[in-house]
Amino acid sequence: MRRSLRLAAFAVAVVALAALAAGCGSSKKSSGGTTTTSSGSTSNVQTSYDNGTAAKGGTYTIGWENSFGFTDNFDPTGEYLGNAWGILDNLLIRPLMGYKHAGGAEGNQLIGDLAESVPTPTDNGLTYTYKLRSGIKFGPPVNRAVTSKDVAYAMNRLADPKQGGQYGFYYSVIKGWDAVGAGKAKTVSGITTPDNSTIVFHLTTKTGDFNLRMGMPATAPIPHEVGDCFNGKPGDYGRDVVSTGPYMIQGADKVSLPCASLKPMAGYSGANGQKMILVRNPNYDQSTDQYRKNYPDMFKFLINSNADDIYAKVQAGQYDDETSSPQPKTIRQYVTNPTLKPRLLSNIGDRTWYLTMNLTQPPFDDIHIRKAMNLIIDKEALRKAWGGPLLGSIATHIAPPVMYNNGLTEYDPYSTPGHTGDVTKAAAEVKLSKYDPGKTGKCTASACKGVLMIADTRALDNRMVPVIQADAAKIGITFTVRSINGAYTTIQTTNKNVPISERPGWGKDYADPYTFFGELFDSRALIPSGNTNYSLVGITPAINAAKKLGVKGTLTGIPSVNSDIDACQAKLGQDRTTCWENLDKKMMTQVVPWVPYLWANNVIIVGPNVTHWAYDQFSDTTAYSQVAVSQK
Amino acid sequence: MIILLILIAIFGGPLAQHFTGHPQNSTYDSMTDEFGVPKGPNSQFWFGADSAGRDLFVRTMYGARTSLFVGIVATGFALFIGLVVGLLAGFFGGFIDTVLSRFADVLLAVPQILIAVGVVAACSTSKQGCLGGLLQPGLPVVIAVITVFSWSYIARIVRGYTLSLREKEFVEASRSLGATNLRILASEMLPNLIGPLVVYATLLIPTNILFEAALSYLGLGVPPNEASWGSILNDASGYYDVAWWLMLFPGAFLIITTLAFNLLGDGLRDAFDVRSER
Repeated sequence: MRRSLRLAAFAVAVVALAALAAGCGSSKKSSGGTTTTSSGSTSNVQTSYDNGTAAKGGTYTIGWENSFGFTDNFDPTGEYLGNAWGILDNLLIRPLMGYKHAGGAEGNQLIGDLAESVPTPTDNGLTYTYKLRSGIKFGPPVNRAVTSKDVAYAMNRLADPKQGGQYGFYYSVIKGWDAVGAGKAKTVSGITTPDNSTIVFHLTTKTGDFNLRMGMPATAPIPHEVGDCFNGKPGDYGRDVVSTGPYMIQGADKVSLPCASLKPMAGYSGANGQKMILVRNPNYDQSTDQYRKNYPDMFKFLINSNADDIYAKVQAGQYDDETSSPQPKTIRQYVTNPTLKPRLLSNIGDRTWYLTMNLTQPPFDDIHIRKAMNLIIDKEALRKAWGGPLLGSIATHIAPPVMYNNGLTEYDPYSTPGHTGDVTKAAAEVKLSKYDPGKTGKCTASACKGVLMIADTRALDNRMVPVIQADAAKIGITFTVRSINGAYTTIQTTNKNVPISERPGWGKDYADPYTFFGELFDSRALIPSGNTNYSLVGITPAINAAKKLGVKGTLTGIPSVNSDIDACQAKLGQDRTTCWENLDKKMMTQVVPWVPYLWANNVIIVGPNVTHWAYDQFSDTTAYSQVAVSQK
Repeated sequence: MIILLILIAIFGGPLAQHFTGHPQNSTYDSMTDEFGVPKGPNSQFWFGADSAGRDLFVRTMYGARTSLFVGIVATGFALFIGLVVGLLAGFFGGFIDTVLSRFADVLLAVPQILIAVGVVAACSTSKQGCLGGLLQPGLPVVIAVITVFSWSYIARIVRGYTLSLREKEFVEASRSLGATNLRILASEMLPNLIGPLVVYATLLIPTNILFEAALSYLGLGVPPNEASWGSILNDASGYYDVAWWLMLFPGAFLIITTLAFNLLGDGLRDAFDVRSER
């Protein structure tokens, strides 16, 4: 029992050290010897960075928090992590369609990458023909020219469920795609390669965003010589990705074929490893590539479990960049210090953060309660919990305005003064609800008390949950909060019947609103686990039974938007944009599945040795193909 | 000091809320800066604010309730289980002793935090909790986990005392007079165990308070809306260099509480232990 005294002594020591650290930390001098000002402004924060002349050479080092978090070990066929897409698209692979690796609207504009240009569909929008650019070769160990058959191979690999593809659903519009998935065919009949530089896709239905779908990493060419080594082993190709881009995994030139002798490339230690090192690809021809600049000789992505340490190293120049999330104190440090401020970079993230409400669970099975939640939540306070205005703009509908070419910027069906919530408006909405039988303006029914809310265990959640609880209490709704490390798993499991969660966010896959509406609200995509239609929009008793969703709650009268999604999918150009805008309005007024609160910015801090930095709007990451660093 | 702490645990939260006018879960926009960083003590917020902009003084007072409640209740359960197991093992010996003692040994060898993380996670994915709703997430799970890992200490100690006591003359005398095992356990053994048990309980309480703080520090304790010194310290970990008050006040209360119970335990042991008076 002396252990107690030792524990007490330990506690004393911890607090004493913390107080000492706090005293040290409260100094106005930063470790670099610069003086902070008492206040700063979040205005004038830059979106790109120039500090001298961008020149070839040097090593660009990125601190990556905790683990890579790859969804398929960096195998392009199944990799679905935005941060991985940033590396793949900028440095390693060249899909048929590509981007300029720039920030803003320009960065979302499609260009030909492996293909010479962006094709116009023929055959009434059902046929897409791509001509491949000449002079593009695979890096080691393949060392040969890329052909259209390599693109077809990658597509067939994506169609085969045994190869780990995670977004094959985007391509089910290609003739014969589903037959491969069902095991009835070995290759997709709707993909043909008339010659080595031409590939043709035959679709079953008009798909206005098909070119955009051909810009995702899984569609980039894969050489069968290496791909065949990993048949039925999802993710294993990730450690032997064969480059078509300006860089390759370090050690690619040290591995050899055939499969029996093929070892993992030394520069990447796997999704649970500590590093990824990329070096120049000797087979890359800059003349085939108008937009990648490729300044550094080497990229190092290094895992670091301590976010504070990452930012300390970025500030000290040991790292040049980071894949982490700056805490409010770090943002304040940079914004209030004129010397540091230019290195704090904020760009639109094409992502919406929201509270999701389950349309089958009381009290959110009543649209008036869902509307009241939109009116009562203090969105400004939630943004502050994230770190303030620098972290994004207040969200007022489903998809960010950039998805509509900056349309719907003024659309706010639940406007409140300063976005801080309005008790009067919310109470008026509650009065219309069946959960307020006495018309008191408060949710008085028992269904409104102790409603289950799933939260995560991040520090951010601890800041957000009290705000949501305090606001909802104003209209009589109280929550039983369950904090779960990795809350997504729970809210994506339909039979958990989660009424509300503050965890979700959704970013685009490509610059088209379909990547929001199709994946988040199409009831045909409902699945028992890994489900992303958290609100269960469009669910019916028949769907619940057929898909074995296990949902218990209100299953009748749930609105469906499947036909709206199909209608928008068949449109092109401005008609398409307008169609999605109208669907967004319908979602917010007739379905109301969310309380959207933040259109996130991506805040990145770069080190003092960086001489040029730009943002990649497509992947919402650093544009690695554009960055430059002084020689180290 | 302990009486004062208990009074704080019972009345401190509501009184703090009354005097400051700040409910424990109300967030105050004025108490975080434009970046969301909490502000320090002032005339209205005596301990400053936490990262959500809540009054840290009120939260710290309510935290006393959580900490003492967990510490005392978990210790009570652990005492009861440890007493029963230790008495049975020590008094009957043989096979019963072997089974119960080895079971306690196994529990002592189990990595507590690791198991606690698993149990808390498993019980927190639904509103009902686990074991058919018997174990609710939050305080009930925390108390259950602490109890499971605390009773074996008590059981070992009770067993040792029981082994010694059962050979004493007064027990032999009672047995020779025809007393049943139950009567001997209740009338002869138990009264002689009360002294040491009170001492060890007093020392176990601060251990359990720190265990709860550790669980909450790891984000596995009470829900975000319930105050706990451990969860406040968890909150402080991201701000230790810019918001000293977040660590200082709950940390100081934690230290004072554990120290007070430890000193009480040491005092009681000296009082009960005849040999120490020589």
